[in-house]
Amino acid sequence: MTFDNYTIVITGLGGQGLIRLLQILGNALVNQGYKVITSETHGLSQRGGKVTCFLRFGNKLKAPIPMIGSADMIIALEESSIIDVLKYAKIDKTTKLIISTYENHNIGKEYPSLDYLLKILYENSDYIYFIPTMEMAVKHTNNLKTMNIVILGYILRFLPLKHSIIEESIKQNFSGEALEMNLNAFNEAFNL
Amino acid sequence: MSKNIIVNGKFGDEGFLLGNEAIVRGALESGIDIYTYYPGTPSSEVGETFTDIYKETGMKWVECSINEKVAIEVAGAAYARGATAMVGMKNVGLNVASDPLFALATTRPNNKNSAMVILVADDPQQYSSAVEMDSRNYLKLFKIPALEPSNPQECLDFTKEAFKISRKLKLPVLLRTVTMVSHARSNVIIGEIKQSKIEEDFDLPKEVNVALRIFFLDMKENHIYNRMKEALEMSENSTLNRVENEDAINEFKLGIITSGVSYTYVLEALRFLELNVPLLKIGFINPIPVKKITSFLETYDQVFIIEENDTFLETQILAIAQMNKLKVIIHGKDPFSYSKKNSLLPFVGELNPTLVALALIKITNLKPKVDINEINEKKYNIMERKPIMCAGCPHRTTGYALQKAVKKIKSKTGKNIYFYQDIGCYTLLALPPFSFANVKYCMGSSIALAQGVARTSESLNIAIIGDGTFFHSGIPALLNGIYNKTPILVLILDNGWIGMTGQQPHPGSDTRYYKEGNLKKSIDLEQFLRGTGANVAAIKHYENIDERYTSNLKNLIFEKGVDIAENKNLHVILIKDECIQKIVKRQPIIIRYVDTELCNNCGICYSQFLCPAIDERDNSAFIDSNLCLGCGICEEICPNNAINMEDVL
Repeated sequence: MTFDNYTIVITGLGGQGLIRLLQILGNALVNQGYKVITSETHGLSQRGGKVTCFLRFGNKLKAPIPMIGSADMIIALEESSIIDVLKYAKIDKTTKLIISTYENHNIGKEYPSLDYLLKILYENSDYIYFIPTMEMAVKHTNNLKTMNIVILGYILRFLPLKHSIIEESIKQNFSGEALEMNLNAFNEAFNL
Repeated sequence: MSKNIIVNGKFGDEGFLLGNEAIVRGALESGIDIYTYYPGTPSSEVGETFTDIYKETGMKWVECSINEKVAIEVAGAAYARGATAMVGMKNVGLNVASDPLFALATTRPNNKNSAMVILVADDPQQYSSAVEMDSRNYLKLFKIPALEPSNPQECLDFTKEAFKISRKLKLPVLLRTVTMVSHARSNVIIGEIKQSKIEEDFDLPKEVNVALRIFFLDMKENHIYNRMKEALEMSENSTLNRVENEDAINEFKLGIITSGVSYTYVLEALRFLELNVPLLKIGFINPIPVKKITSFLETYDQVFIIEENDTFLETQILAIAQMNKLKVIIHGKDPFSYSKKNSLLPFVGELNPTLVALALIKITNLKPKVDINEINEKKYNIMERKPIMCAGCPHRTTGYALQKAVKKIKSKTGKNIYFYQDIGCYTLLALPPFSFANVKYCMGSSIALAQGVARTSESLNIAIIGDGTFFHSGIPALLNGIYNKTPILVLILDNGWIGMTGQQPHPGSDTRYYKEGNLKKSIDLEQFLRGTGANVAAIKHYENIDERYTSNLKNLIFEKGVDIAENKNLHVILIKDECIQKIVKRQPIIIRYVDTELCNNCGICYSQFLCPAIDERDNSAFIDSNLCLGCGICEEICPNNAINMEDVL
């Protein structure tokens, strides 16, 4: 696996800590010597709406938004949200889809069935990972706000990042009780 | 994390900075004395970062001003008298600040240290704005120099360059960013912080000091046109306008002219298409380098102009080609097409690498390895989620009570009732199920809009405005209504802060618990309103649970509404209930739970009150503890007392 140019799409709901996840991951990559560019959307999208962010690293990547059909990894912090960003998956089906099983049903229409979801996921990728973020966050931290860090712990196995560097990045982002909780969530997911 | 490098970073250090943070560092490296701003996405982090750090930097002053007009006047006067000054705002903020900017551009400070940069952050795609507008169009009107960075590193470098140009020409320089530049985060190599050389004397040239109308034409000639001629020379020689990849050869004899964030999309699209094209990247966007552009146009058979939103560059480049009688084929949006169908790139919305690649495919007929049209054609059951008020927003309660009050007023008076919305979180009350919106324009307009309809019809007209927006520009409209005795209902939804942009302070904010601390005096909004002589009623929701609050608020709105309909009075209701996002920063969140034994699934909490943290699961209400912010209003409104603080499971 080469990490010359690597694009991650992260989607979910405002309030799930997407931007925090982006910052921790980006900061760790910078500390490991990579050129990184991320894009964040703030403001209106904070309010329960859908948020999509991009994180890209490698020398050739300059744009804050990638081409469609070019992502190496797509992360959905809320299960159904993956549908909206499938256009970023590569047509050779090698994009890793990392999907939290957490569901939020406040859409104003029927929540998609698992059958439908699986059908379109298999159309787009041979590498699909469902992560029980909600169960893990409750079990190990008794707090659902750590679901973003559970994802971070899990995806580390696919990225060229040293455990110690990302731990350092988490330490710069939290303090006190929250730090302990998030490190716990991170390590449990890392060892999953 | 970023704060440390912004304040203490040494020459050559590398940070992982937001475009907006890089602008702050660039200003510190230019010896900035004063920064004033009005928050607005995507510009707000510049002001927040300055507020955070300015005491550690030797700057003289940073303020979140009452509105953009005042912000530019405060910074502009400081500049005129000898300070290195900067003002920041979002796209529509420039509309508010535009009046003083005309006069400011004619001001010629004598002081060597004087320099002024105006940061304007545009929001293509309207992620967080009432409109999508391309501020570059103002540059032709104001005739001031402007720079446009394409990434966070350039945010730092261009800010420094903007101060240098302003210091030399004694003209304010506009720094234009967009969301994908201000909110991009990337590796940024920093330079050295400079201390200001500000002096105490105030030495303004007599003619601008007096500012007699009679001198204006001279000033326009001398101070604007002559200095813009100098700016043109600077633009021609600036490394910010440069040809990249000059030796690239392609069979189409194609060159590209681009600027800002579009430049990064072009690089991405070219890499995807494996196409080598020489690029003229324009960073100094006003005045554009006419000679450089002419020689670029002369070199190629075809030139494609790639820019986001309006045809600011294209219109000018077409003129340059005509004036020089060049035969080059110019591709672009065609400024006179006004149509999506005939245009290579959209006029409306954000650009991205895919759109640029598709346009290049149209021009070149290339067949890329990946068929992006095929990907675009795949259709899924998309899960669009509309923005909604936060879980725990106190003014969802206001919407809920207002909905009930309006029904009662209608049945008692038989009047039609119309709503006028303003700019802020409560704009979201315009969406179902509340749907409180007939008209909305811009900041501060709701109160005047209500008057226009009240004066020409027999209806009842209700203006809904937040406290921040009221201070920003709602006050004159209210005074207008009071003195003209126009019968309207004004609801001021007071959450204590400028909520939507990240809870910055305004004159009514109680800043005691926050970083602004005791620096600011809080103006009592209720006293202020009573001072106008209007009929003012105030209602406050305290932090403890109050089961009668919603019906008290409903009755108050009903009573005043009926009086307006029957007796033609103007009423103001001040509804004080603090922003939940601010409350959770100073006290722990107490998440609510549903007791499924007591819940009869009536749906009031999730389908009428519409809290985003509540939905229906297994024939019962279900509170999502990931989203609940512990406001406790669901506990207040639940008719079955099924919602509690304790987890009963």
